[in-house]
Amino acid sequence: MQPEAAIEHVLGLARQSGLAEVDVLVERGESLGLKIRDAKVEKVDQSTSLGLGVRVLLDGRTGLAYTERLEASALRRVLDEALENAELQDQLEVNLPDPARDVPAAEILQLYNPELEQLSFEELAEVGLEIEATAKQTDQRVVTLPYLGVSRESGEWILGTSKGTHYRQRANSATTYCGALLQKGESRKTGFWFWQMRDWNRAEAAAIGPKAVKEGTSLLGAKSIQNCKMPVILDEYCAPQLLGMFFRAFHADAAQKGTSRLAGRLGEKIAGENVTLYDDPHIPGARGSSHLDSEGVLTQKLSLVNQGVFENFLYHVESASKEQRTSTGHARRSYNSGIGTGSHNLVMEKGSYSLEELCQQPERALLVTSLEGAAGCNSISGDISIGVQGFLLEKGERVQPVDSITIAGNFFDLLGQIQGLGNCYQPYLSKVFVPPMLLDGLAISG
Amino acid sequence: MLADQTIAKVLEHGLRQGADFAEVFIEDSVSRSLDLLDRKIDQINSGNSYGIGIRLLFGHESCYGYSSDPDPAGLLQLTENLARSKRGEGRVTPKDLRRAPVNDQHQIRLSPEKVGKTDRVELLRRLDQLTRSHGEAIRQVSASIVEKKRSMLIANSEGLFREDSRQYMRVRLSAIADTGDGPQGGAESPGVLGGYEFLEEVDLEKLAREAAETALRMAGAGYIDGGVMPVVMGNGFGGVIFHEACGHPLETEAIRKNASPFTGKLGQSIASPVLTAVDDGTIVNAWGSLNIDDEGNEAQRTVLIKDGVLQQYLSDRVGAAQVGVPQTGSSRRESYKYAPVSRMRNTYIDKGPDKIEDIIRSVDHGLYAKKLGGGSVDPGTGEFNFAVQEGYIIRKGKVAEPVRGATLIGKGYEVLPKISMIADDLELAAGICGASSGMVPTTVGQPTLKIDSILVGGR
Repeated sequence: MQPEAAIEHVLGLARQSGLAEVDVLVERGESLGLKIRDAKVEKVDQSTSLGLGVRVLLDGRTGLAYTERLEASALRRVLDEALENAELQDQLEVNLPDPARDVPAAEILQLYNPELEQLSFEELAEVGLEIEATAKQTDQRVVTLPYLGVSRESGEWILGTSKGTHYRQRANSATTYCGALLQKGESRKTGFWFWQMRDWNRAEAAAIGPKAVKEGTSLLGAKSIQNCKMPVILDEYCAPQLLGMFFRAFHADAAQKGTSRLAGRLGEKIAGENVTLYDDPHIPGARGSSHLDSEGVLTQKLSLVNQGVFENFLYHVESASKEQRTSTGHARRSYNSGIGTGSHNLVMEKGSYSLEELCQQPERALLVTSLEGAAGCNSISGDISIGVQGFLLEKGERVQPVDSITIAGNFFDLLGQIQGLGNCYQPYLSKVFVPPMLLDGLAISG
Repeated sequence: MLADQTIAKVLEHGLRQGADFAEVFIEDSVSRSLDLLDRKIDQINSGNSYGIGIRLLFGHESCYGYSSDPDPAGLLQLTENLARSKRGEGRVTPKDLRRAPVNDQHQIRLSPEKVGKTDRVELLRRLDQLTRSHGEAIRQVSASIVEKKRSMLIANSEGLFREDSRQYMRVRLSAIADTGDGPQGGAESPGVLGGYEFLEEVDLEKLAREAAETALRMAGAGYIDGGVMPVVMGNGFGGVIFHEACGHPLETEAIRKNASPFTGKLGQSIASPVLTAVDDGTIVNAWGSLNIDDEGNEAQRTVLIKDGVLQQYLSDRVGAAQVGVPQTGSSRRESYKYAPVSRMRNTYIDKGPDKIEDIIRSVDHGLYAKKLGGGSVDPGTGEFNFAVQEGYIIRKGKVAEPVRGATLIGKGYEVLPKISMIADDLELAAGICGASSGMVPTTVGQPTLKIDSILVGGR
């Protein structure tokens, strides 16, 4: 069965069973990926994935079930299972939202570029081979290129509900990435670069090899530094990663369940005046853009922090109903998961400094270009204790590559210790836009 | 799961396109999860995953595709598309498929299907109560039961045709405590390759006590002063350090790309002579065990390091051929959506001669990392990082006050020679490992051991 027909089929079965509140989410994806090694296409991955998730709401109880088969028998079974699951659940007072009115056409979000579908296997292969060749030529210290790939991917999601919501949105992108392992004496470093866009630009997509190599070579010979406190600059790639690790504190359900440090702090100053943070679901082309959330609620631009003052939590239907208010349109779900909370496109307003100018602000500072894993970040307490790599700066000049160190502090304290913000975002497809930041108060161990 | 005839046709079609080897992997999985959060049964989800993965090998080059649509014409078309960059003359003919039985080493005593969902709901509520009984400072509890039955069929052009199923059961518990200095967590998550008997036999009181005590101790803890110091690593999940820092770089997936510090080191001393490490896929009902791997080979016990000397890599079909080592039954994938590669199963550092008391006593000033959280590694450089979930200062040979916010940073090949003492209290712990073939259940483990010096991140 085709996805649209499958949704109608499930909703039809639900009607016959007297179920008034059912929603059905279908996700479909297609991708073609190539991995390159030794001047050959070493691996080709081609896939079509499909999944359908059903949510049944019965007297305020929710039941979920999913299937990757769209035959009639599987659809019957998935609805029955969702119903059975609902009967066991505790009441959560969730009601299916009414269909949103005046939903703009999905196309105005510019998430899908039909031309990308014409991107041939041959062209992807040529670009991959060019990345490999140019990366190897860049520096003789390249040991190997263990991660080198090119791909194009597309996906769509369709939401249908028994109350009449029907929404379909699709998106696509092309990606190239290159990881280079470099060695100089005993020092081994991995340099990584990627390109991901919706408008195919062959020259840019193919230009990442030398960039990856340079990322790695610049860190060769890195050393630790002594325990100290000094200003830390996170570049435009690390800053969004750090915010992403702690952002769940802005979810209303986290606050309601006692796992957000921001609970009870609405209207208070939680950050410096230079911090303004909002969620904008309607940025054309941005990865998280959408007119409806995954419960069918109309999305809206939402201020989270305005000049340091905490203004809003993110809600979905369930967390909103607990506080007798309406959802802010921040439900997130995939066909095989339950409902969670999530931002669309998170934006921290830029500052005025270029990264170079930001680096020149302190006399001596640490520029962080790589965060090593998220395990050392406790999203509930806000504690940060994480390995980093980067450069020791003196008067803005990179005087020494640095590794084998950790930075430590607390995210919620850091919000008040941002000394300056950069004027750029990372340039590729994204849904978290945070500029480089200069931070005070982090402890460095080495 | 798919007609034998269709499987044979796909394999034949693959070889006709010039492939040297063709493989069909069919999976039909049933999953169920029940989550309790904030004293309520918060989510119950169940589902069915189904798909067919087709792999063609042209020498060491591979093409992989998958679909959830069993239509034979579509699968033949996918096979053709996969081979389009390689198209050549068919040189090899497929061997007739021979159905070979799988000897089930990991039997299920109580099928999860025979137990009602209400039993699971009651178990979660009991866990919630037991955990909260450790005091008012326990502010939040979440608990879940995750189960999955993977049924799969693997057939290849060399005539292999095997069917197997794996039943997984796991319980996860997380407690959050706050005594005024901000919330801190403790978590336990044991699991088995087995049936519902696991949930009947697991010691719920112990689980609740351990999660609650970790959270409570950390809630009252101060921050550690970072620096380079000796670290005593606790047993069980502490083995994640070996998994990340040494296990991944010993997979042929890293070795074959010359992207591991251990490339070319077979037979050489890479660790302290007190260290022996094993990756064993045959431990009965262990979370990371297998009857057969995802290429259809019997699971094995693989000694990685013996008395400090590197013995073997973990390999899959392509990795073994490229590196020139035997296959070790270690080929794994999360689902039909991934081509298989060499992965760990149940990986542990073997027990040693020392006693935990003697190890602690040998440290003048250092960290006792009793429980570790997660971590990650760059296999190419060996650089790793781990969060310490429950840590204590060791002062003058005694375990002293708890400390929070500790992170361990280092390079695997530098740390291995610094392991100087290993205790006799080997324990295994269930985890989920992510890599290029997806998330797979793996066990980590070790006895309590001492690393003479490592960087501890703190304040």
